[in-house]
Amino acid sequence: MRGVQLSLNKTQKLRLETALEKLESLSSSTSNNSNASVTVADTIPINYEDGVLKGHGTSEMDGRVVATICGLVERVNKLVYVRALRARYKPEIGDIIVGRVMEVAPKRWRLEINFSQDAVLMLSSMNLPDGIQRRRTAVDELSMRSIFEENDIVCAEVRGFQHDGSLYLQARSQKYRKLDRGQLLRISPYLVKRRKQHFHHLDQYGVDLILGCNGFIWVGEHVEAKDDMVLDQMIKSEQENASLSGSVSSREQEQSHTSIEIRQHICRIANAVRVLSTLGFMVTVELITELVDLSISHNLDIHEMLGAEFYVVVAEKEAERRSLATKKR
Amino acid sequence: MRCITCVTEKEVLYGKRVLLWLQRILVLYFSLPLSLMLRSLQIGLQSMQVHQQPCHIVYTDYRPTPLQHYFFPSGGNGLYLVVDEKGKFRENSFQKALNALVPPGEGDKKRENGKWQKGLFVGKAGEDSDIFKMVKMIIQRQYDPVICFSFSKRECEFLAMQMAKMDLNNEDEKVNIETIFWSAMDMLSEDDKKLPQVSNMLPLLKRGIGVHHSGLLPILKEVIEILFQEGLIKCLFATETFSIGLNMPAKTVVFTNVRKFDGDKFRWISSGEYIQMSGRAGRRGIDERGICILMVDEKLEPSTAKLMVKGSADSLNSAFHLSYNMLLNQIRSEDGDPVNLLRNSFYQFQVDRAIPDLVKQAKSLEEERDSIILEEEDSLENYYSLLQQFKSLKKDVRDIVLSPKYCLPFLQPGRLVSIQLIKVDDNLPSFSVKDDVTLGVIINFERIKGLSEDDTNKKPEDASYTVDILTRCAVHKDEAGKRTISIVPLKDPGEPAVVSLPISQIDSLSSVRLVIPKDLLPVEARENTLKKVSEVLSRFAKDGLPQLDPEDDMKVQSSSYRKAVRRIEALENLFEKHEIAKSPLIEQKLKLLHTKKQLTAKIKSIKRTMRSSTALAFKDELKARKRVLRRLGYVTSDDVVELKGKVACEISSADELTLTELMFNGVLKDIKVEEMVSLLSCFVWQEKLQDAQKPRDELELLFTQLQDTARRVAKVQLECKVQIDVENFVSSFRPDIMEAVFAWAKGSKFYEIMEITQVFEGSLIRAIRRLEEVLQQLIQAAKSIGETELEAKFEDAVIKIKRDIVFAASLYL
Repeated sequence: MRGVQLSLNKTQKLRLETALEKLESLSSSTSNNSNASVTVADTIPINYEDGVLKGHGTSEMDGRVVATICGLVERVNKLVYVRALRARYKPEIGDIIVGRVMEVAPKRWRLEINFSQDAVLMLSSMNLPDGIQRRRTAVDELSMRSIFEENDIVCAEVRGFQHDGSLYLQARSQKYRKLDRGQLLRISPYLVKRRKQHFHHLDQYGVDLILGCNGFIWVGEHVEAKDDMVLDQMIKSEQENASLSGSVSSREQEQSHTSIEIRQHICRIANAVRVLSTLGFMVTVELITELVDLSISHNLDIHEMLGAEFYVVVAEKEAERRSLATKKR
Repeated sequence: MRCITCVTEKEVLYGKRVLLWLQRILVLYFSLPLSLMLRSLQIGLQSMQVHQQPCHIVYTDYRPTPLQHYFFPSGGNGLYLVVDEKGKFRENSFQKALNALVPPGEGDKKRENGKWQKGLFVGKAGEDSDIFKMVKMIIQRQYDPVICFSFSKRECEFLAMQMAKMDLNNEDEKVNIETIFWSAMDMLSEDDKKLPQVSNMLPLLKRGIGVHHSGLLPILKEVIEILFQEGLIKCLFATETFSIGLNMPAKTVVFTNVRKFDGDKFRWISSGEYIQMSGRAGRRGIDERGICILMVDEKLEPSTAKLMVKGSADSLNSAFHLSYNMLLNQIRSEDGDPVNLLRNSFYQFQVDRAIPDLVKQAKSLEEERDSIILEEEDSLENYYSLLQQFKSLKKDVRDIVLSPKYCLPFLQPGRLVSIQLIKVDDNLPSFSVKDDVTLGVIINFERIKGLSEDDTNKKPEDASYTVDILTRCAVHKDEAGKRTISIVPLKDPGEPAVVSLPISQIDSLSSVRLVIPKDLLPVEARENTLKKVSEVLSRFAKDGLPQLDPEDDMKVQSSSYRKAVRRIEALENLFEKHEIAKSPLIEQKLKLLHTKKQLTAKIKSIKRTMRSSTALAFKDELKARKRVLRRLGYVTSDDVVELKGKVACEISSADELTLTELMFNGVLKDIKVEEMVSLLSCFVWQEKLQDAQKPRDELELLFTQLQDTARRVAKVQLECKVQIDVENFVSSFRPDIMEAVFAWAKGSKFYEIMEITQVFEGSLIRAIRRLEEVLQQLIQAAKSIGETELEAKFEDAVIKIKRDIVFAASLYL
């Protein structure tokens, strides 16, 4: 049971098992056997084809193609590779990730992103707070901590790999920023599917949801991403206003304060993600909102979402949904 | 890119590479201040729109060194000042220049031979060639240094060879040149120094004559540029490339030709090209005026010349095109939206700018339409539509009767036929019930050979035929010397001539046949025959020429024919009854109505273009291309880039789809490194060689594999409605340099591989350099799929080709 210990009573256990069994049978019927799972040192049959390309997670031994990791065998034309399950995050260019700053180094930050090494975010590959294009000076370098400090949560995009294999990030728009006033969740990266959109603004809750491809998920209060110049002007005009009325402090207070409803929404959404990841379901924005709605319709309190009953309900719901989907097909 | 505070861009608009620049400006993440040196304000306006920044335009129309434009007629002896430094066009000296041209008879002969430059090359026996005379004159008048532009590499070299007798440098300069030359060549290996291009160049250079074109070794090109700047080369023969991107002016510029081959035909050089090239004349601060000489070898209209010499810069048109690589790179980043890129493209900008014009056009047309007021419009319209129906029915009948199936047996020589007259000048159709016809005599008929090969298995009925008909024609000779023949009625003045017409132009066949003389070449014979025709006509004047009856004589038996005939009869009755038919002004009125209808149709079409241009210009193409990517498994249905797409993302210097497919099909895996390099050379070689020898069998085999892959890719694209010509696409991969590149990868010396192929040294070097670029991208691609062996192989390949003269460092660095 995916290493999760839930205190289930007997009926709940039974229901959960049937739901899971149902899911299993569904998945085995839909997936064809071509992507058979392998463990380390298993031989991957290649039918003596010529010119087979051996991709990630494979190696050649005595003329046989051998898996070097556990996972599923995938084939694209003549390329054979093994896709690992439940491994660390494997970055790809263009991925959106959420990471935690581990170290402020000369001209760069090091971020922990659940990869085999720390990712590097250069000072030069990110927006300066004033939004002006210019060379980074020594002063900028000294004030790096005013942008990100150790233990800050940051979202960024994977820019590419250096020749030595180290990973470089970039954060060149207003939406890549320091994340605050919210929760960071860590789930297995394989549960986050790559999609066109990873930034989601859940309007009805006033919450931002960032599904990092590395399995770090951010749920936080919604922040309006503003264009630099517009922001500048606004601040200027507001400052003028403020100097007239002298209400700077109240505005600041308002900015640092998160209302109780939004806090509750954040917790609810975070719990939904937790439930999904413990059950091993894909974490998508649709499923999350569905779960939140479900919990509200069941009149569950936020903390009750992590109770055994809700897990069972979600599993049953999912089994039902998938069987419907397969029937439709 | 991040640390740039200001991007300065000069002459943004030449060729493919620069296009990339434009896209780069578009996708710049931020709005930097841009300073662009442009030939068109539109670009400035566009970047303003995209980056939402003000655009300051600094505009200059003034040349610090004025230009004088001369003409040099081929075969003539002197220069004729055509445009003086104040920009005045001198008509009379222009005429004088043209008069000095070689007599037109000779010119015609030359034209027939299809060798325009013949006079230029050979000149008359015993005399020096024109170019030699020209250069001599320039040197005598101390107009040097001079750049002679010609439009082909071979011509360039040929012209330089003609200068063999000339020596423009003194001893000191010769020594100088030799030192500069050899110190530059020092970086080459001993073997490479023996290359014919290197060893042949020095004697020429020492005499102060240089050649500069893209086929030269890059290092030679640079040496020549340096020597030219130092003033050690007095006379440089260059192609157009010299005029672009290099700042190397001379006192005088000579155009050895006024026509340029642009892929399929010789055309006049455009004013934009002329400006660019003549702009090299006159060094600022040294010469007080620049001299620009045009060698003319054929007559040209003053207007053409004026347009060329004094015209404005070419208008700028977007050549933006979507590439899969661009698309994929946009798709895979979260911000990237290909639609956005398109919206900001210059093409879109131009289309958007055209809209107000279109609106204005539509409005004025509408006004025009509304100003046409007709009385009794309804009945007129009725009559008009009846007329249209009648015409189309008649045409149907004619089509049936005159289909080759029925009429072929009757197209004997001597038969009198009536022919439709086609009016050349006014496109208004005639509105009388009768057609304008004239008579002619059939001489012969023949089948038109279609371009397709499968003509033979067509039935004779399906093929189209032309009929040679003797009739009265008016022959016009227009200015270009082209003859246009138009058929005129029998009684009008004109000469009898035989014209070939498509069957569809015959109106009807008569049952009369004439005896025609065997030899129709003399005019009298033709005149006599036509006289006979009019005789026949007068004999049958009473009840008209007896026609071949379609049903009885020609055995036309089809129900549609009969139906049509019956309807024609009914319509004819209607015409007679129609009230308006009697009105005297019917013709004019109908004409008015017709123009009105045409205007309406025009307005409609303009509105349609307006509608389509408000939509995104590239939208359909974008959709089609995305479809291709999905079909080939590069992206998923919800726009997430797959593994294959990631590989294609890395490849930007070659056709990404074909190369990716090739890689994933394992073609590159099992072959030797040299073979692989040779195969990849097909991706980077674009020139066409006529008589390239075929590569050896193993390579040939690989090449067919490549062609198969390419064909498959092209077919998928076609299925997805991308505009593509499959065969053209497949043949864009040229195997011409496979053998040479194979040898190069094997470690041959450069002079050895030059013996294998016919191509220019510089072209080959450029190809190999691009090949290296592709290989670097492939290394990245192999890395991204985790195929270490392939990666190692690519790296090996890079090491193998990256050596010696091909990658010799530039002298400028």
